[in-house]
Amino acid sequence: MRRRDGELLLYWALPAVLGVWLSAFLLFPGFTRPMSPAMSADAVAGFYRDHVWRIRASMIVFNWFSVGLIPVLMLIVLQIRRMGHRTPILAYCMIGCAAAGPTLFLTADLFWMIAAFRPERDAGITQLLNDLGWITFTCGVPFLIAQSVFLALAIYLDRLERPVFQPWVAHFNLVVAAALVPAAFAGLALDGAVAWNGLLSFWLKNAAIAVWIAVMWLVLGRAMRQERAAEAPAV
Amino acid sequence: MSSAQIAVERIELPADSPARRPLAKLAWHWRNNPKRELWLAWYAIVAFYQMFFIVFFLITRAQPPGKPWWNSTQVVQWFDQMHNGLLWGFAVIFLLGGMSAFSTALIAYSMRRMSVSPAFAYSYLIMYSLAAVPGMLLLCVALTAGALRPDRDPELIHAIFDLAFVSFVGTMGVFLIGSVIWMVAILLDKNRVFPKWFAYLNLCNALTEVVIAPACIFKRGVFSWNGQISWWLDMVVFGIYTGAFIGQLRTMILREDVGTGPLPDAAPRPAADAAVPAGAAA
Repeated sequence: MRRRDGELLLYWALPAVLGVWLSAFLLFPGFTRPMSPAMSADAVAGFYRDHVWRIRASMIVFNWFSVGLIPVLMLIVLQIRRMGHRTPILAYCMIGCAAAGPTLFLTADLFWMIAAFRPERDAGITQLLNDLGWITFTCGVPFLIAQSVFLALAIYLDRLERPVFQPWVAHFNLVVAAALVPAAFAGLALDGAVAWNGLLSFWLKNAAIAVWIAVMWLVLGRAMRQERAAEAPAV
Repeated sequence: MSSAQIAVERIELPADSPARRPLAKLAWHWRNNPKRELWLAWYAIVAFYQMFFIVFFLITRAQPPGKPWWNSTQVVQWFDQMHNGLLWGFAVIFLLGGMSAFSTALIAYSMRRMSVSPAFAYSYLIMYSLAAVPGMLLLCVALTAGALRPDRDPELIHAIFDLAFVSFVGTMGVFLIGSVIWMVAILLDKNRVFPKWFAYLNLCNALTEVVIAPACIFKRGVFSWNGQISWWLDMVVFGIYTGAFIGQLRTMILREDVGTGPLPDAAPRPAADAAVPAGAAA
């Protein structure tokens, strides 16, 4: 039997991390009214000058907590290991995504932070750093998409009589993966729904991520309870 | 069905099965093939490398790379010519690039199947997973940013161009150490997962990362990022290496018994008297 001490602590830390993320999201003025890619270089430079402290503070908080989801992803990996598979391949796929995904978010955070470091810089350079930040953040979905697809495959291939996750969780993951698809194409549009401030690339994508975290947190809790109940010594 | 039987039987649906049409056949394997996770990963790897080739060589034409000796005007012209290809091609990478995890996972699994410590598999898994960001996605982000605004200051476009190609060729250490990890695991392995010559091919791949290092310094000549040695020779080695490891992984899956002892030889046609692996007794 696997040692499980501390798993509940990691599990229950997530709501606190989410609270911090939400505060940082609201603190960054570039998110509450997503910055348009059509803004001129001067407008972008003005944005960094006007909001320099809110940007710095939010980016520091994002930086601290950007890897905050990884413990919960590892709890999901442990549940995948419990599934009726013959190899650990899908668990390894999830570990790979957990290593690469947050690195992308962290990279975006660094670009925004550098742009805010010297807001008096030439406007063209600030605009470039801002572009790099937004492209990395918005288009940086490959590992989130892959993660949902891997999880769905793992659930479909689970041959336990009482599967770890119900099949609807797999369908749900595929829907989330589909919702993240338009964001990959954000580089193709400076305005409209696919642009990085658009309905699909910003709002749908980030809502899908939020819903994924909430739903997976709940079903993970259920799977962990079932695991404990099944292995509890009979008294 | 014991794991030994799985190893030596050819996994094929019964001849009288109604499921002979391609889709029905696929569904049959999805339900019944005991190696479905391995085959899924293997076919995903084949698809991933084809997608990678199509995007980098045909759609974006980011490979072979632009010339490191170009001035800003020439770089801007390059972006103008490539504009749509870059934006569409890298969108495909942003969509499907995560499938590279299948490749890392299957290779890590090959090391778990060996007699070596799991530390090898986990090292490889982490190295190649984190390498995807500086080694591939940063180039995609940079060239997307370059193509996004053709009216940007040419000096800045030139800097983005350098960021893209220096990060792409400059992510050397993870691929160098990663290949060496796989090589050492194969050499130490007593389960006969791969032939020993394949270990030395890993060394060849690792050496390409040594040869590419001067590309971070030279702007022209054979060692520049598009040079005859740093690009052409390395690309030939990488092509041979990729083809070889995809073939070796396929052979491994064919021989796989999902056990723990030495990997049996490829199955002869009738399964009956093939060698029973040590792990099968458990």
